Amino acid sequence: MTQTVTPSTVDAPFYLPVRDEVELFEAAYEQRIPVLLKGPTGCGKTRFVEHMVWRLLGRRSGAPEQPLITVSCHDDLTSADLVGRYLLSSEGTTWLDGPLTQAVRTGAICYLDEVVEARKDTTVILHALTDHRRILPVERLGTTIEAHPDFLLVVSYNPGYQATAKDLKPSTRQRFMAIEFTYPERDLETRIITHEAHVDETTARDLAFLGEQLRRLDEAGVIEGPSTRLLVHVGGLITRGIAPRRACDVGLVQALSDDPDVQEAVTQVVEAVFPA
Amino acid sequence: MTTLRETAELEVAAAEDRTRHSLALYYRALCGEVCSLIPYDDGSSPWEHADTETTVWLPREAPLDDHAEFDAQEWYQVAMTHRAMHRALGTFDIDLARDEPLFARMRPTDPGDPDVPSLRRLAGLFGHSVLGVHVFATCEDLRIDAATDRLLPGLVKPARAVHHGALHERPQPATLFPRAAAVEALVRYSLGGSIVWAASVMHEPIARIVSVVQHLRDPRATVESSLEAALRVCDILIGLPTEGAHRSTHQLRFADLDTTLDDSRFDIATLPDRMAGAEGFAGWYHPVAYRDWPGPRYVGAPAADVSLEAFLPQVAQAGTAPVHVGKDDEDADAQGPGRAVAEAVSGGADPAAAPNLRPLVPVVGHEPWADLDTPMTSRAPNEFVYPEWDTYTGGYRADFTRVRVLGAPIKRADHSHYRALARYGHLVGRLVRELERVRPDGRTVSRRSAHGDDLDLDACIEATIDLRTGVEPCDRVFTDLRRRRRDVAVVFLLDLSGSTAVVLPPDPETPGTVRSILDLQRDAVSLLARALDRVGDDYGIYGFSGSGRDDVRLSVVKDVEERATPAVWHRLGGLVPDHTTRMAPAIRHLTRRLRDVEAATKIMFVISDGRPYDIDYGQQYGEMAMLGYTIDDTARALGEAREAGVHPYLVTVDPDGADYLGTACEPGSYRVIAETADLPEALAALYTSVRGTV
Repeated sequence: MTQTVTPSTVDAPFYLPVRDEVELFEAAYEQRIPVLLKGPTGCGKTRFVEHMVWRLLGRRSGAPEQPLITVSCHDDLTSADLVGRYLLSSEGTTWLDGPLTQAVRTGAICYLDEVVEARKDTTVILHALTDHRRILPVERLGTTIEAHPDFLLVVSYNPGYQATAKDLKPSTRQRFMAIEFTYPERDLETRIITHEAHVDETTARDLAFLGEQLRRLDEAGVIEGPSTRLLVHVGGLITRGIAPRRACDVGLVQALSDDPDVQEAVTQVVEAVFPA
Repeated sequence: MTTLRETAELEVAAAEDRTRHSLALYYRALCGEVCSLIPYDDGSSPWEHADTETTVWLPREAPLDDHAEFDAQEWYQVAMTHRAMHRALGTFDIDLARDEPLFARMRPTDPGDPDVPSLRRLAGLFGHSVLGVHVFATCEDLRIDAATDRLLPGLVKPARAVHHGALHERPQPATLFPRAAAVEALVRYSLGGSIVWAASVMHEPIARIVSVVQHLRDPRATVESSLEAALRVCDILIGLPTEGAHRSTHQLRFADLDTTLDDSRFDIATLPDRMAGAEGFAGWYHPVAYRDWPGPRYVGAPAADVSLEAFLPQVAQAGTAPVHVGKDDEDADAQGPGRAVAEAVSGGADPAAAPNLRPLVPVVGHEPWADLDTPMTSRAPNEFVYPEWDTYTGGYRADFTRVRVLGAPIKRADHSHYRALARYGHLVGRLVRELERVRPDGRTVSRRSAHGDDLDLDACIEATIDLRTGVEPCDRVFTDLRRRRRDVAVVFLLDLSGSTAVVLPPDPETPGTVRSILDLQRDAVSLLARALDRVGDDYGIYGFSGSGRDDVRLSVVKDVEERATPAVWHRLGGLVPDHTTRMAPAIRHLTRRLRDVEAATKIMFVISDGRPYDIDYGQQYGEMAMLGYTIDDTARALGEAREAGVHPYLVTVDPDGADYLGTACEPGSYRVIAETADLPEALAALYTSVRGTV
């Protein structure tokens, strides 16, 4: 659930800006304005955060040992999972900081991925952290923790996928600066696929073109359009010698839908793009 | 009972529908547009199956012969790709003023009124001749096929095979008069042909045509390039005779021709005058089956039920002005500018004149409400008696209505269910995904379980404390993720009153198809049923009608716990409009039926086209009071359903529905759909929204 990134062991995560998101994030960090990243799955939100943490904290002296603490939210996530809980030990009960408390204390960037998946009562504990108070009330300790000056909260969600049933409460949403992500345009996505999948540029361009076509079915609500991540995976299979049509079948067609009609349509697009 | 033959026919029809659905999705992926695929049979005139903005016509059977090096699936894929690429590569987004990189500009520098879309002014450049529009379309076909080869390399092989097959079907130019022979040479060249048989005298014009259109294979070519090319080709064609064939012909290789483009010989300025009245390809031309036939769409009109030949004179009369009847006519604008002309040409139908097949008039000379004191009894196991709410006395009339539960009549070989899925199939996937999102995620966490996937921390701590304090600990220290049971039952109650036979205004996307309100109800239920089958919600489908309080008929299409079989769709197709709308007894009966169903969430949708009415339904209080009586009884029945744990929703396509439902029904328990044609999509959206809230 929780991942940490240690700067000494991580090179600059590969990221190609789509628009001005790097400048926006840097400005937000300087002002310690919480950041909300919106965008479809697999479009690079998490990679962007990793990249920004590396840019902002990766080479800075005095940066916390774990500059990025990522929490993948789910609907069973409790506030105790974020803030911390007492554990039983041989000496009695021992308090264990949760990932959010850990970030608040050390000045790390805390990234709550897919935040709307968490229960509404869980997200409410973020309110005092995301306004001028910058404090974290810890009820079980009967205290509040003042956030480290370097602490920043970043959350993400996919409004397209989750709009029907889940959304952020307005009182939560309005505490964040929102950066909207979309899939990169074809040339940029070609470069990303080439770099990430180590595939030749022609194949990468074909994959990006394929993704572009299939995302039209996303706009129609037929499927969740293929993410850049998915295209990278397919590219990786092709790099390992799998024939493009076969790689698309197992990496793309089957992943996008279980509906035979939709699979047939996607397969036809694949076969139009990649010769047998 | 369904016979094996009928089952086989159904399976074939279902397979065809699936193919059409996946081809429509394929089309949408390539160009981002929605289309309805309509098959046509051999023997129909080409203009009868010209594509429109939202319809694609394809032959019911792919043109395969012994020499074909492609199969039917490849042929359909090539045909759909060609049409999709017309959309994706801008054929219908032409801009007469826009520059293009391949030709010296010969288009008029003054392209006319900029407020009139370019496509609408296109025919004017060719003297409003059918020939000009057809030549432009053929130039575009050439450009589109060349671009498709570059963009979709996986399709090159089957496309070449299909083009080769199309070449095999072409007539020999030697049998054609000179202008037709030149057109045939153009078509053969556009199909990738390498030779043509032609008289020596034709070599020069054919060489000039090829010198022009060869540039359309350039990757930089745009739709405006095709226009420049078409103007030059027409200048060549219009100078060729339209009668007399040459006896002596020779094989001409396109590759051997001198194809140096010489623009000095073209006279485009006088072209419109010289081409005025020139006919198109019809009569002697053999269409290329995988390509779309140029219809009114090529001059910016959505009409499909009229030929370009019949349509162009109207465009010519309108000059460069918009083709529609006028800006003041909002209805005409809403339906598309070409619609008015199309209807003028074809003598279009007046929707208001659509017959209301069964006017709801009580039988003259008889007052069925005169005898209201006799209580009803159940005379057979399929009959049920229910009370009725009398809002004017403030009490129930006991045993007042009798519901007869009947099996819906079966209409064999009815494919309306599958046609509905083809028409609305693109919505099913989205609906399924939305339903899957609004329902619980399918698993629930059970704490303090004896078995499970993970330790329950709190239980572990308590158990440890118990151990250390000498108390026997509880061994239920796990958390367990268990799959939740799908726990929804929904019933759809369709209004079968006579008014549902009312024919809807003609849909330009499906010319020649007559559809009633009941047909739309069927489509809506088919669409939802498909989605519910996929997500696992249990559902029932019923229809109601009647003729008096002792004869409320409830037709069972699919009972709520019945399996969905082909027979169910036969029954749905067999529903017919019949008499009146006494809604409340039907609601009460389905409430009772749902009581017997084990489901945590029970939903009832009543789909109607108007206010409740019956021959003995409140008339005793006078005509003015009747509406209040019927509405209050219906609202009461909905309230009874709610008390029984059912979530009832009344959906009406009556535009005035809000006037009478708003006063009697709880907000949120009814929905008025303004446009009848929107019923399937609206009901799907409503169901998703309801599932998200109950």
